[in-house]
Amino acid sequence: MKTIILGIESTSHTFGIGVAAFTDSKPAILANIISRYVPEKGGIHPREASQHHITEAPKVLKKALETAGISINDVDGIAVALGPGLGPCLRVGATLARFLASYYDKPLIPVNHAVAHIEIGKMLFNLSDPLVVYVSGGNTMIVIQKKKRYRVLGETLDVAIGNLIDTFVREIGLAPPYIIGGKHVLDVCAEWGSNFIELPYTVKGNDLSFSGLLTAALRIAKNISKDNRNAIGDLCLSFRETAYNMLVEVSERALALTHKKSVLLVGGVAASKYLDRKFKIMTSIHNASYYVVPPEYAGDNGAMIAWTGLLLYLHKRFIEPINAIVKQKWRLDEVVLPWLPD
Amino acid sequence: MASRLIKIAHGAEAILFKTMFLGYDVVAKIREEKPYRHPVYDRSFRLRRTITEAKVVSQLKMLGLNVPALFFIDLSNYMLVMEYINGSKLSDIIQSLSEDYVEELASKLGSQAAIMHKNKIYHGDFTLANIIISEGEPYIIDFGLSGYSTDIEEYAIDIHLLMRSIEALAPEKAEVFMTSFWRGYCNILGKEFCRSIKERVSEIRLRGRYIEESLRRKIRHERYM
Repeated sequence: MKTIILGIESTSHTFGIGVAAFTDSKPAILANIISRYVPEKGGIHPREASQHHITEAPKVLKKALETAGISINDVDGIAVALGPGLGPCLRVGATLARFLASYYDKPLIPVNHAVAHIEIGKMLFNLSDPLVVYVSGGNTMIVIQKKKRYRVLGETLDVAIGNLIDTFVREIGLAPPYIIGGKHVLDVCAEWGSNFIELPYTVKGNDLSFSGLLTAALRIAKNISKDNRNAIGDLCLSFRETAYNMLVEVSERALALTHKKSVLLVGGVAASKYLDRKFKIMTSIHNASYYVVPPEYAGDNGAMIAWTGLLLYLHKRFIEPINAIVKQKWRLDEVVLPWLPD
Repeated sequence: MASRLIKIAHGAEAILFKTMFLGYDVVAKIREEKPYRHPVYDRSFRLRRTITEAKVVSQLKMLGLNVPALFFIDLSNYMLVMEYINGSKLSDIIQSLSEDYVEELASKLGSQAAIMHKNKIYHGDFTLANIIISEGEPYIIDFGLSGYSTDIEEYAIDIHLLMRSIEALAPEKAEVFMTSFWRGYCNILGKEFCRSIKERVSEIRLRGRYIEESLRRKIRHERYM
């Protein structure tokens, strides 16, 4: 018995298609192709990003099928991330999914993007009940599973950590591009510094708030001349240190509260090696095992949608193509997942 | 000075030891070094939080609240020695409590929180794990993130954190718990103040990433669907 699911991701800057398969209850990712929209200036422009997705979609689809060595007829179902995300971007994926499902007569499986980030991590490391820290451009949350849902134990009350970092480097004139040679410009800039400046640190129980940190850091940056590399470096270093410490502290609080045996770091910001180091130290203090999703599956991608779609397919969670409507604000904790324990 | 130290908990921030002090059962709370933090930050954090906790907990005790009595402060070791509260964390036992008992506890907790807020003190980490049930009374512990403020935002955040905590740990008891909590809370603080806090709490909940299901439907239906 072999089940093959195609997954479409288009919630934000990434258009991705993945293929996941289940052969005699062994999971496999057969393809994971992405094309990322990189803004020339400023942040993500939803319309520009969706234009990019429209142009790239056919190429990505073709390449994904080629890589997996299958034709569209071999696929058992079409999974698509219907939210949360940017409306114009989401609609590209939804349109493609509706077309593939109706034209080839395949079941259509709606997937929550946040659930997919978690499920791919659990699959890769064979975890059943981790404390999940989900960090990306649009999300910062601490999640546990309870009563067939993922429950949010703590989250940002304003800006998401990825957005915070990108906004900061953009406003001080260092970006775009945000990533240079696989390294975020914040990390490049932090290497210029050596001294610590105290910045606002806002932790409320398991929740955090980054807006004060951003405002304060930008105010300091205003008074630094562009050539003063050391001063900018000090600010970058302190900014990163403060933001990451806040995140590690709320995760540590959640870990002490729930006594989970493992911590799973997921989402695009999980690729940061500085964050990784802090998490390693923190989890070792509490004797918890620690896993971080590798970059190809940590950033937005189609494989995670395909894999989660496969799980949903096995529980027959299909919808009619006409009902595949995008949900920009589809919260993680709304979704009931049959494979999670009571 | 003290007898044998028995480690009873390793929390997120501190290690707790149970011991005897002047003939009383006490807890020694030591804020340990966090190697993942830069040392400069680390020291200033531990110091500030130890001082705040000492200040707040002793003031609340004098106001007659159910909090541990403070016995001794040692800032050079980031240590507080406090009364040992013999009981269970609400987070550990909530699942097994009867609905009536949850109602009674939540109402008492509401009154306690109201007195705390009335005195311009917020807790900052008001979750079920920081409430100990001892002989039928709720005791509030762990004031490391607390502070003084006249801003109702801080009080509302306390209640938001409590709601979040009960929804995550015992979703089926959340409604009963919060209804009784508000009853106890509003009894002390009065209708008007209570209403403004309630409004702020729902506003805070809206700020979370992607708003709640029911609120989303109610408020943003036309705009997003």
